[in-house]
Order: sequence, then structure tokens, then C-alpha cells
Amino acid sequence: MTWLGGWLRELILVVLMAAFVEMLLPGKSMERYARLVLSLLVLLTMLSPIVSLLKGDAAKELSVALGQQEQQGGLLSGSGRGAGELEQILADGRRLAAGAKEQGLQLAAEEVAGQMQEQVAGSTGLQGIKVTVKLGLGKASGLGGEEVPVITAVTVSLPASAGAGQAGVAGTGETDSPSGSEPIRIEPVVPVQVQIGGGSSGGAMEVTAGSRGSASGAGADGEKAAAGTGDAAADEIKKLLETNWNLQPGIIRVSGSTAGTGKS
Amino acid sequence: MEIIQVVGIGLLSTVLILVLKEQKPMFAFLLTTAAGILIFLFLIGKIGTILGTLERVAESSGMEMIYIKTVFKIIGISYIAEFGAQIVRDAGQESIASKIELAGKVLIMVLAVPIISIIIETVMKLLPA
Repeated sequence: MTWLGGWLRELILVVLMAAFVEMLLPGKSMERYARLVLSLLVLLTMLSPIVSLLKGDAAKELSVALGQQEQQGGLLSGSGRGAGELEQILADGRRLAAGAKEQGLQLAAEEVAGQMQEQVAGSTGLQGIKVTVKLGLGKASGLGGEEVPVITAVTVSLPASAGAGQAGVAGTGETDSPSGSEPIRIEPVVPVQVQIGGGSSGGAMEVTAGSRGSASGAGADGEKAAAGTGDAAADEIKKLLETNWNLQPGIIRVSGSTAGTGKS
Repeated sequence: MEIIQVVGIGLLSTVLILVLKEQKPMFAFLLTTAAGILIFLFLIGKIGTILGTLERVAESSGMEMIYIKTVFKIIGISYIAEFGAQIVRDAGQESIASKIELAGKVLIMVLAVPIISIIIETVMKLLPA
């Protein structure tokens, strides 16, 4: 019911305004033409619910159409408007070119990141690592000063599960083997039973330790060993990427391993 | 009483023009134009008040502003065309005056084109194919 009230109000106002404007007109010669446009406006207002049902907002349609008409130029505004249009077209072109370049850089960065990920996964055996590559435009010395895409930053995120898995493997007594090449084993979770009482604390500890997959006595040693293997994996990944992609050591950052081996 | 001022300016300029017309027709024409512009400038503030009121009322009642803009364009075109045509007619160039009026009419009709197209498209969509 609200739209009906609004429509009716708008219609009444347009009719009143049309009558008022007709009186404002300066002479008889323009009266017929002005009356035609005003009556069309009244008709459009009357039809506006149908127009909005079929085409969208009637007023918006009209404003778009009038805007297009204004852009096409008036009676004597050929040359002055042309210069502005050319400027606008050039600005649009520059904006589009910048957007395309940025998109291209993004696509290239994704591709490079995928290749790096495959290489790291293939050589270290780590699964689920995430490589993020940031590309920027730099001056190439050999290409006459043209701007070429260069790798500005590489971030390798080791998965948390890999670190935990390494800790688990390390805890079960396999600390001497390089954990990077070992497949990750996910052990089923042992149901935790909590028994309240003084004598049962040792059993509870045992269950908890079993669920983590590490020996109860050698927990601290296992953590240390895991940190060491995480560092080793990070160093290995950095070395691999430096040699394969000819990167500066400073731009590779490995993060997310067990001991927080974020390095830059 | 602005109307007395306007009528006074009109009468005074008419007398002066009638005197000057015999001696210097060129100056008579210039005086006619100047008097016309003076009266128009005198009224333009009042027209602005009326249009401002219309705009304010439309805005407060939630009417679409594009309708108001179209109406204002019609008023502006008709005022300017009529004024120019009358000045040229006073100078004795009836044909140019009618051309100015024609331009005003065409420009008003051009304003009607988007409205007509929207209405026709709507009606065509309503009709069965």
C-alpha cells in the first residue's frame, strides 16, 4: 500500500507542476511543445509501476537516457567536447592498461607460486605447503631499461600438521632420520578417559601422551628435535628456491613450521 | 511595487526608442535590447524563487529529480529562445527570429525523445509478441 500512496503522490505533484510550468512559459509559440513533453512526463509517471515491473526503475532509465543524450553533444558543441572526450578515452585506456598489467602480474605470480610449490613438494616430500609469490616491476639491465616482472617476495608457509607430524615422528624415536622425506601419518585419536582419583593420574598421563603419539618420557627431547628438523626443512627450502629461481636470499621467507622458523 | 518599476522602464525606453528611431535606428535597437535585458534580469530572481520552491517541494515529497530537471530544461529553453527571438524580431529580422524559435522547439522535442522511447518500449513489452 505504501508504493500506491507514493505513486499517487508523485502523480499529483507532476500534474500540478505541469500546470504551473505551463503558466510560466514565456510565449504561445513554445506552449504546444512544452505541453507535449509535460504530458509525456505525466504519462511516464502514471506508467512508472509497469515500467519498473518490466524494465527497472523508470526514473533511472530516464536519467540514463538523458545522460547519454548529453554525452552525445549539443547543437554547437563539437570541437570543445571532442578534446575532453579524447582525454577521457586516453585516461580510460591508461587505467585499463594498468589493470591488465596488474592482472597479468597476479596470474604470473600464481603460476610461479604453483611451480615453486611443486618443486618444494617434490624435493622435500612435504605436503600441504603454501607458497605465496609477490611480483613487481623492475628495470632489467639487458633489455634497454624496460620494466620486467621480478620476484620481490616469496613466502613459504609450512603446514601446522606437518610440524605436528614431525613432532610425533620425532617423539616415537625416529629423530635420527631426516623427517622431511617421511610421509605424514595421521594416527587415530585414542579416546581420552579421565578418572578422578589420586592413583589414576599416571594412567591418564599415559593416555594423553598416547593420543599425541609421543613417548611420555621423551616429550621435551622430541620437541627440540622437531624444532631442529623444522629449521633444517626451512633451510632446505630456501636453498632450493635460491638455486632454482636465482633469487636473493633475503626475499625468501619460510614460516609456520614447528619452532616458528620465520626467516627473512 | 516591482511591476510599476518594470512598466516605468518599459514606457521610458519606448519613448526614447521612438525619439531615437528617426535619428539613429542603430541606437534605438541597442536601447530596445538593453531595456529587454534589464527587465529580464529584474525578473530572473523571481523566476529563480519559483523554480527553487518547486524543487524544494518536489524534493521534500520524494518526487524523482529527473522529472524536475526535465521541466526546468523546458522552461530554460523556452525563455532563452523566446527572448532571443523577440530581440531579433525587434531588429526587423523576422526570419532569423523564427529560426531561433524553431531551434527552441526542436530542443524541447529532443528532451521528449528519451521519455517517448521508454513509454514505447514499455507498451511494446506489454503487448503480446
